[in-house]
Amino acid sequence: MSNNYFNTLSLREQLEQLGKCRFMHLDEFTDGTSALKGKKMVVIGCGAQGLNQGLNLRDSGLDVSYTLRAQAIAEKRQSWKNATENGFTVGTYEELIPTADVVLNLTPDKQHTAVVNTVMPLMKKGACLSYSHGFNIVEEGMKIRDDLTVIMVAPKCPGSEVRAEYVRGFGVPTLIAVHENNDPNGEGLALAKAYAVGTGGHKAGVLMSSFIAEVKSDLMGEQTILCGMLQTGSLLCFDKMIEEGVDAGYASKLIQYGWETVTEALKYGGVTNMMDRLSNPAKIKAFDLCEEMKDIMRTLYHKHQDDIMTGTFSATMMADWANDDKELLGWRADTAETAYEKTPAGDVEISEQEYFDNGILMVAMVKAGVELAFETMTSAGIIADSAYYESLHETPLIANTIARKKLYEMNSTISDTAEYGCYLYNHACVPLLGDFMKKVHSDVIGKGLQLDDNGVDNARLIEVNEAIRNHPVEAIGATLRGYMSDMKKIV
Amino acid sequence: MLTNPIELINLTVEFDQGFICKNINWKVEPGQHWLICGSNGSGKSALAAILSSTGSILSGETSNLPDRVGIVSFEAQAELIEAERRKDDADILDVISEGTPVSEIIDDVCCDQPLAKRLSQLFGIDHLTDRAFRKLSTGESRKVMLIRALTSNPELLILDEPFEGLDVNSLAALQEHLTEISAKIPVILVLNRIDQCPQFVSHVAYMETGELAHQVARENSADYDQLMQLLHLKQDDLTVPPADPQSTLPELDRTQPLVRLTNTQIKYTDTIIFDQLDWTINRGEHWQLTGPNGSGKTALLSLIIGDHPQCYVNDIYVFGFQRGSGESIWQIKQFIGYVSTALQWEYTVGTSLRNVIISGFYDSIGLYSKYTDAERDIANQWLVLLGMKDRADDPFNRQSYGDQRLLLIARAMVKHPPLLILDEPCLGLDDMNRQRVLSLIEIICASSESTVLYVNHHAEDKINGIDHYLDLGERGPY
Repeated sequence: MSNNYFNTLSLREQLEQLGKCRFMHLDEFTDGTSALKGKKMVVIGCGAQGLNQGLNLRDSGLDVSYTLRAQAIAEKRQSWKNATENGFTVGTYEELIPTADVVLNLTPDKQHTAVVNTVMPLMKKGACLSYSHGFNIVEEGMKIRDDLTVIMVAPKCPGSEVRAEYVRGFGVPTLIAVHENNDPNGEGLALAKAYAVGTGGHKAGVLMSSFIAEVKSDLMGEQTILCGMLQTGSLLCFDKMIEEGVDAGYASKLIQYGWETVTEALKYGGVTNMMDRLSNPAKIKAFDLCEEMKDIMRTLYHKHQDDIMTGTFSATMMADWANDDKELLGWRADTAETAYEKTPAGDVEISEQEYFDNGILMVAMVKAGVELAFETMTSAGIIADSAYYESLHETPLIANTIARKKLYEMNSTISDTAEYGCYLYNHACVPLLGDFMKKVHSDVIGKGLQLDDNGVDNARLIEVNEAIRNHPVEAIGATLRGYMSDMKKIV
Repeated sequence: MLTNPIELINLTVEFDQGFICKNINWKVEPGQHWLICGSNGSGKSALAAILSSTGSILSGETSNLPDRVGIVSFEAQAELIEAERRKDDADILDVISEGTPVSEIIDDVCCDQPLAKRLSQLFGIDHLTDRAFRKLSTGESRKVMLIRALTSNPELLILDEPFEGLDVNSLAALQEHLTEISAKIPVILVLNRIDQCPQFVSHVAYMETGELAHQVARENSADYDQLMQLLHLKQDDLTVPPADPQSTLPELDRTQPLVRLTNTQIKYTDTIIFDQLDWTINRGEHWQLTGPNGSGKTALLSLIIGDHPQCYVNDIYVFGFQRGSGESIWQIKQFIGYVSTALQWEYTVGTSLRNVIISGFYDSIGLYSKYTDAERDIANQWLVLLGMKDRADDPFNRQSYGDQRLLLIARAMVKHPPLLILDEPCLGLDDMNRQRVLSLIEIICASSESTVLYVNHHAEDKINGIDHYLDLGERGPY
C-alpha cells in the first residue's frame, strides 16, 4: 500500500497547503505561452481531455505529440485513430518520452501509478511532468524524481467544452498548481501559466491552488453534493412520489430533468437565484426543509471531510481497487435495480417553471448539499474560492449528466474516486433521511403546493431572504461569477 | 393522401423565438401545391411550420392538420445536428464517440427502403451509409434530410429551401422526383429564389411581417405577374462601411502570395477527401471555388483558415507563416474574414446583433474583449446598411435564418480582411438581399484591400471581378 503524502506533513504545512487558492488576474498572463515555446510537449492518453487539450495547445503554437502504449498503436485503437486523424505524431513511450520537455499525464487516476512508474525512468533530466488531478501525488504518495518539475493544470470542464470554448475565442476556468517538493529550477509556475494560456483557460479565469487543496476539495465536492446528494435525492424523491400516488413516468421525468433545470438557475445566480425561482410560500417551505436536512446531514458531511483529510477514504477505496473493484461494481449493479432507474421518463410535458414548483424538495436538497459542502470545506481550511468551484460551480455539470444518462450511467462515467465516494455517501444518507422523508408529502415533491393564495408573512419572508443571501457561498459566488462575466459578455 | 382541405382560420401563432404570425386565413385544398415567399424575416418558414403543428396558438382555429408531415428545413437540419451533438458523450465519457451512421438516421423514419436506396443513388450519397451523420458536409446532410422526408410516407411535404446547397445533378434529380410525387402528395415549398419555382406549384402565398399579405393562384396570370414584380424590388445604392483606422493588423510581405498549398491532401482512415492539390492565391486574385457536394470545398477552406486539424500535416503557407512552425491560430485568423453554414451552426451564443458584427474584429464567436468606440461605430454603420439598426441590442439567436446570415456576412467583412472567404454566403437569403450581398462582394473585389475567395453552386450568381476558378469536381485550376 502506498504512502499518503499529506499525512507526512506537519499540521502547519498541511494548513498552509490547504489554504492555497487565489484567483489570478488577466494581467498576470502577459507572457503568454512563451515559457513553453519551442519545448516538446508529449501527451499520455488520447481520450476527450487528452485530445482536446492537445488541439488547443497546438493551435496556440506549441509543439504537441502523443504517446500511447505499443499495443494501442499496433492494434490501431481508437486513441491511436483520434491522434493520427488529427494530424499528430504518435509514438511509443520509449520513442517519445525521452525527447519530451513536458509530459502531460492525462490518463484516468487509477492508471497513474502504473503510467508514472513506466514513464519516469524514460524522462530526460530537468523535464516537467504535468497532472490534471493530484490524487496520485497526494493520496498515493507518488515520489517523483528530484530533478523533475511537477505541475498541475486542471480545466474545470469536460474535454469537449475545453475545445469548443477555445475555438470560440474563449476558454474554461482552470486550476493550476506547482508541487513544491518538485520545483528544482523554480520554473513550475511559469510553465503552468503558459500551459493554461495554451488551452485558453486564462481568458475564463485561473485559480492558483496547491496539489493538496485541489485533491481534498475535489474529493469532498464530488462525493457529497455533486454525485452523492443528487443520487440520494433522486432515489428518495422518486420513492416518495410513487408512495403518494404520483404517476411513475411523471416522477421519473421530474427527477431526471429537474436537477438540470434547477441547477441551471444556480449556475447563473447562485442559491439566491435558484430560490427566487420559487413562489414566496414555496421558497419559505424549501428554506425550512433545507434547514432541517442540514441539521440531519451535517455530521455526515463532517465525516466525509474528515475521512478525506486523514486518508481513510482513499485507503479504503484503493483497497477495493486492489480487490478488483468488488464493492464498487456491486453498488453499481444495485443502482441499476432501483425503482427510479428502472422507470423511464414519461412522455409528459413539464414546463421549466413546473420543475421548480413541483420540485420544492429537490431545490431544498441542492441548497442543503451546496451549503453544507461549502461550510464543511471552508471550516477544514480550504479557501472559499476553491470550495465554491468544487461545490456550487460543478453541480450543474453532474445534473446535466443525470439528465442525459440517469444514475447508473452517471456513475459509470464519472471518475473512479467520485463514484466510490458517491456510494459511500448514498449508503449513509438514505437511512439518515428516513424519518425526515416520512414527514414530507407530494406538496413538496410531485404536485406542488396548490395554494389558493400565495400570501406570506412579510417579516418571515424578509428573514428567509436575508438568510439565503447572507450565506458565505453567495458572497464568493457573486465575486467569482463577476470575474467570469467581466470577461464573458455573452450571457 | 390529403382528402380534406387544411384550414387556418383567423389564426395567430407564437413561436419559440417570440416571432408571431398574425391573423392567418389560409386554405390548402387537396391537389394544390403552394409556394410561400416573402423577404427575410417575413415569416415564410413560420407559416409552413404551422402546418406541422409547430408554435403555440394564441387565437383562431385550425382544421385537418395532417399527422404525418415530411419536413426539410435549415431549422430541422440544425435540430438534428444539435441532437447528434448532444448524443456525443465525449464530454462526459472521456472517449471520442463516432456518432450515428447515416443509415440509422434514415431508417429512423423511413417507410420505403427501395425509395431511400434509389434517392441515395440519385443524390450520389449511397457510399456514405456507414459514415457518421455529423461528419457529413453541409450538402450531404441536407440530402439525408431530404431522403428522410421523402421516404417517411408523408401526407404533406414541407420543403423549406430544399434546393439550397445542392449540386447541379442532385438538384435536377430532386426536381424530377418532386414533380413525379406531386400527383399524390401535396407540397408546400418555401423559396427565396423565385426563379427556382417548379412548374407543379399551383398557388403562391406572400408573407409580410408575419402576415399572409397575398394569395395568388398561378392560373390567374395578371395577379401572379404583379406579385412576381413585387418580389424583384430595385436595389439601393450601396457603400461599404470603412475599416477601423486604428487597426493594428501587421503588414504582409507584398512579394509573397497570401496562400500557397503544395501537394495537399485530406485523408481519414477509410477515405481520401482530396489529394495532390496545389493552389496559390496571390493578393488581388479573386477566386471562385466550385465542386459537387462532398468534393471537399469546405474542408479545403478549413485547411486555409486553420480549423482543420490536418493543416498541420500539410505543406501550407499562409500570410507569411509556414503552418506548424510555432504560429498560433489567432495569428492566422486575424487576416481572414469568413462566413459559412457551419459557422452559422457554431454561432449559438446569445449575444446582441451589434456584438456579432463587432466579434468580426476579434475573430471570436461571441465577444470576450472590451471593444473600442470606433469598432462600435463601424458596427452601427453595418446595422444601418442591413436595415437592422433598431434591433442592434436584440439577441442574435432569435433572428430568422436569413437575417443571421446577413449579420455573419457583415461580421466577415467588417475588418476589411486581406482574405475574405465566403462559403455559399447567399444560402437562405431572399432575392433582394442576395442581390445586395453580391453587389457588396463586387465592391469589395473592386477595392484593393481584400482578396475574395467565393464558393457557390449557382452558376447564375456571377460576380464581376472574379477571374480565377478552381473546380474540385474536375480538379485543377484553369
